[in-house]
Amino acid sequence: MSKSSPKLRPNFFDGIVALLVALLAIGTSVVFYGGLGSKDGDVTAVVLHYGKEVERIDLSGLDGDRQIEIDGKYHLTISLTAFGAQVTHSDCPTQDCVRTGHVSRVGQSIICLPEQVVVKLEGTKQSGDPDLILG
Amino acid sequence: MRNKTQQLALGAMLTALALGLSTMENMFPVTAVIPLPGVKLGLANIVTVFALYRLGSKQALSILIARCLLGSLFAGNFSALLYSLLGGIVAMLVMIGLKHLQRLSIFGVSIGGAAGHNIGQIAAACITLGNTAVLGYLPILLGVSLITGTITGLVSSLMFRAMQNIRLGHA
Repeated sequence: MSKSSPKLRPNFFDGIVALLVALLAIGTSVVFYGGLGSKDGDVTAVVLHYGKEVERIDLSGLDGDRQIEIDGKYHLTISLTAFGAQVTHSDCPTQDCVRTGHVSRVGQSIICLPEQVVVKLEGTKQSGDPDLILG
Repeated sequence: MRNKTQQLALGAMLTALALGLSTMENMFPVTAVIPLPGVKLGLANIVTVFALYRLGSKQALSILIARCLLGSLFAGNFSALLYSLLGGIVAMLVMIGLKHLQRLSIFGVSIGGAAGHNIGQIAAACITLGNTAVLGYLPILLGVSLITGTITGLVSSLMFRAMQNIRLGHA
């Protein structure tokens, strides 16, 4: 047997290689399906109040913090940054929207039921959208 | 000292063997059983592993490049050349690196090579398609490469075991 003959039985170190490959697979799937850093890098925050769209903001174009105030029965403060959205303050009784915390991925949303506010994150260019509609 | 003529003949034979294996693989595609585009066993990688251990990295690389060039010529598909070249070269680099670690068996080297091959192919797809959307396919291919790498590793280990008493390539 020459010096460069391979080891023929799988050992602990092969397991490490397999584990690294598996971790890489999981890591890349988190990045591309979990959307930590969306595919296009462009996320648009859409704010609905009683089902009506009141704001539509491209987060990638944001420089710093942008506050949106919603007034109705209750008062909500929504903070938008290039990294996502968060309801920083609400005087609604349930506080679910505040507890939802920070959302950053396409498809995530924050919902305040008492004030009927929905903050949802959309891909700026959604893959399901048609490229072109011919009349 | 190595015998140049023997090396040349062995290299040519291994290139032919690799071409034969990948042609055979194309005739019985795994994708008929598992409907995932681009998934294959990578039997030709067994030849690469063999060449890497028995002939050294330089000759293994030249066999690989000859295989890719001739393979795309046979298939009449030059757009596939970038895929097989990038895949093959990344796989080769990964396997050379893993082999140098000295700790891994042929299984780990094969799995690393299979994963490297898929990474190279996805890179080629990114280049030809001009966008990174295909990267989303990488996790699936990497998962599959764990299986295919283990299979080619197993075949390689059986082959090396069978060839323990044959001086082929030691020169």
